[in-house]
Amino acid sequence: MADVAASPNGPAMSGPPAGLRDNRRALVAAGLLAPGIVVLLVALVAPFLMMLATSIQDRFPDPTGVTLDHYAAVVSDPYLVAIMVRTFLLAVVVTVLTAILGYPAAWFLARTPSRWKHVVFLGIISPLLVSVVVRTIGWTIILGNEGLVNNALAALGITAEPLRLMDSFWSVTLGLVHVLLPFMILSIASVLGKIDPAFAEAAFTLGANPVRAFTKVVLPLSIQGIATGSVIVFCLTIGSYITPIWLGRGFVTVLAIAIYDQMVTLVDWPTGAAMSMIVTAGTLAILAAYGLLTRRFALR
Amino acid sequence: MTAGASDRLLGAYVAGIVVFLALPVIIVVPSAFSAHSSLAFPPNGFSLKWFANVFSSPAFTEAFLLSVSLALLSSGISAIVGTMAAIALVRHRPPGHDALLGLFLAPLIFPAIVLAAALSMVLGSLGLLRTFAGLVIAHVLVTLPYMIRTVFGTLSEIDVALEEAAYTLGANRWRTFRRVTLPLLRPGLLAGVTFSMIISFDEFTISLFLVGPGLRTLPLEIYNYTDANIDPTIAAISTLLIVVTLVGIIIIERLVGLGKQFA
Repeated sequence: MADVAASPNGPAMSGPPAGLRDNRRALVAAGLLAPGIVVLLVALVAPFLMMLATSIQDRFPDPTGVTLDHYAAVVSDPYLVAIMVRTFLLAVVVTVLTAILGYPAAWFLARTPSRWKHVVFLGIISPLLVSVVVRTIGWTIILGNEGLVNNALAALGITAEPLRLMDSFWSVTLGLVHVLLPFMILSIASVLGKIDPAFAEAAFTLGANPVRAFTKVVLPLSIQGIATGSVIVFCLTIGSYITPIWLGRGFVTVLAIAIYDQMVTLVDWPTGAAMSMIVTAGTLAILAAYGLLTRRFALR
Repeated sequence: MTAGASDRLLGAYVAGIVVFLALPVIIVVPSAFSAHSSLAFPPNGFSLKWFANVFSSPAFTEAFLLSVSLALLSSGISAIVGTMAAIALVRHRPPGHDALLGLFLAPLIFPAIVLAAALSMVLGSLGLLRTFAGLVIAHVLVTLPYMIRTVFGTLSEIDVALEEAAYTLGANRWRTFRRVTLPLLRPGLLAGVTFSMIISFDEFTISLFLVGPGLRTLPLEIYNYTDANIDPTIAAISTLLIVVTLVGIIIIERLVGLGKQFA
């Protein structure tokens, strides 16, 4: 996610005396923020509170009391636990893969004097703007039984029968890496771009070989970018629905699919809400850990 | 390894990444012109019948019109609400503005499925489930972060001195905004609107909980279509979506540079 650069606050505009002016300024600020806050209250805060309430009410839709049974039901159901573990694993694998695949590309974007830089930049960002539905259809054409890969393998005489490349943990992983890689690359590149190349040169001058200069100097300095990218990729993977359902076609059930099934298909809102709150808590925990981590690095 | 060789290696690697990112998008286009009814690559023969299929389908036409009006309306509302909020955050720095900014940007990272389910509960209790109004509220929430981020960025680069000069010369706040801030803000604002429209047009997960029969956005209609058939019709409609997105990208690139949206 982009850092929204904080702007230096300009001096207060000249006008009426200070006290009056401050009151008016506060009023103007409140007025300007009001519509946005209404949107947040209606579409973010209220839904969150309602979800929380639903997850702890004993009966739905007419509660008679408060209970934690739905949470207990979720964590004691081996099927749901397996789904949570799978989703977590998927998020870890996708995060690690995007970080490894993305780092060199981010390095290129941040450091190259190449005239291709802008083209590469557009090439990395543009797929982000194409509908996820379109991109999953694209993967179907590549991985399907009559798709690019299987037709190529058959034409080369390597396989007689089409390989089953869709509907697996790895096809879902591939689809998610594709969707989320640009976020990782941009996060790392924005941090690498701020590192003074003189640091690495200093390490060279002092006798470090390129590998040592990288692992001891550049990599620690760019941890912040990897951390930001990882948080984004991890959270977006946990919440992903369309890619797992399309490229997994019922064979790879992740949390988002389970929540949808629980709520819409089984109409069991309290259990679905409890699952949602667990996901939310997990996401908030990751964001908090990230906050602590970056603060620690900032203090160094 | 010499510096030249490692640069070439890195260049080749990056080219590979760009191909990887572009391939699933590009491959859709030739498949849309296949004469055969399977979604195969390489496509067999040449035909435009799948495009004809898209345009003659009332479901796709209706979904397209719904998605377009939804994108226009929610981006418009988002532009007004987002610009007001960004001005307050950048120029007035209200107490707790970091937390507020975080809340405004939260939908970017919050698990979409949770947001979707939670929103459907609130909209349901307001009687707005499966209504156009409900979709608009949801899409304003999802597009608002993009709008605020763009306007925030553009506004931070506008010198406060320009506004102060107008103010000192006797213009009131509104006039200062209309004559000084707004013209300077225009490229960022237009880019933000274009970006919001693309986001709204592509949105899938949240709409999934809020739509119903007779009220389906285009991505959901495509998804719904694949339940019964997987044929090049979806490649044809995807090709049309790619063209629309390309136009959007060119507009943003001309206005502020696409990089500004992410950097």
